[in-house]
Amino acid sequence: MTHRELELQLDAYVDGELVPEDARELEAHLSGCGDCARLHEARVALSAAIRKQVPALRAPDALRDRVRATLRDAAGTTRVRRSLPAVATRWLALAASLATVAVGSWRLALSRAGEDALSGQVLASHVRSLMPGHLTDVVSSDQHTVKPWFNGKLDFSPPVYDFAGRGFPLIGGRLDYVGGRPVAALVYGRRQHVINVFLWPATRGSVGVAPRVATRQGYHLLQWTTPEYTHWAVSDLGLAELRDFTQLLQQADSTVGGPATARPLP
Amino acid sequence: MEPSELERFEAIVLPHLDAAYTLARYLTRNDHDAQDIVQDAYLRALKYFGGFRGQGSAGDGRAWLLAIVRNTAHTWRRRHRGDALTTEFDEKLHSDTLAEHTPATALDSDSARESLYQALDRLGPEFREVIVLRELEGLSYKEIGDVTGVPIGTVMSRLARARRRLQETLRNREEGE
Repeated sequence: MTHRELELQLDAYVDGELVPEDARELEAHLSGCGDCARLHEARVALSAAIRKQVPALRAPDALRDRVRATLRDAAGTTRVRRSLPAVATRWLALAASLATVAVGSWRLALSRAGEDALSGQVLASHVRSLMPGHLTDVVSSDQHTVKPWFNGKLDFSPPVYDFAGRGFPLIGGRLDYVGGRPVAALVYGRRQHVINVFLWPATRGSVGVAPRVATRQGYHLLQWTTPEYTHWAVSDLGLAELRDFTQLLQQADSTVGGPATARPLP
Repeated sequence: MEPSELERFEAIVLPHLDAAYTLARYLTRNDHDAQDIVQDAYLRALKYFGGFRGQGSAGDGRAWLLAIVRNTAHTWRRRHRGDALTTEFDEKLHSDTLAEHTPATALDSDSARESLYQALDRLGPEFREVIVLRELEGLSYKEIGDVTGVPIGTVMSRLARARRRLQETLRNREEGE
């Protein structure tokens, strides 16, 4: 492998876009070649510097309002919500969402929209987790730290993996409450994207239900059931990548095998 | 268009307004142009929304919208070449907006940030856009290929070249100081 070839592969490797076999070959080369190892470090540092120094921006509120107004004009539905100034509308929307969350009736609104109540809860939990300070109760990229953290907090010991080598590093975990019971929420990352995996013991008869996919509010939701657990994965990640991730999880689950209780605790 | 159809469009496409603005802003380096481009892009998106839905559930609203933003921005550049879209340093982008949106911890290294911005500014638009799509928007190579209309191999080589150039520029700057 020439340095020129390696440099091209190196970016794909840093970006988690290299197929596993190529990644392993490149890792083997990196461990033996000082020049390439330095090149790798420099690439990782550059990537980190760009993310730190060059921010993703927030669209100005004025633009948000302007785009909405333009869309409504263009769609010919000017009667909707135009009687109120934008600021008042926003406050009303906020007040409404707070009020409905408070009384727990937001599920009604979702089912009225034809949505499945559980997926609505999962999505709401995902969105809430993205608000500052809500993502994790235990922050660690070490599955042997995250898994024992759930001991004594749940009546099951959720399987925890770290797929950092495959571009999906473990970020941490937290307790959540979905479908009327406490559940494990495991947080994985993919570049700047957050993936929440909610899981709880599968109920009898739910096994073998085909994986379901839904897209709402710009988020993808994937649901599948193993003999042990019902899983939901939610993210704004592209659907193809989210599927890749859930396949990794399913492979890992089937590799470990056996009931959760028989699985050796780290 | 039916009100429910507009609501669907808003639910799928409006959440990506920040991403759209970020891309337009870094492509134009100008707040005013970026806002006009985003507004224009949303109108186009609304017009072609039927075609997007035809792609089924695998369609990702964000990549789809960003492709439209990118094409709108490139049309603008061709139209306004040598006018608004010059390569001069955008003071506003480098001061106000950053101060507003960057965590305090990142603000302690002003000169590093400035170097990085100037290095980014020197990149050709086809290289700057892959950096923005990758590092700021977090798109996969496949999505970047969809947005920019090039094969994944080209995405890969453009990113590699863009990063190499950034590193060269930053290194030259350090040595020049």
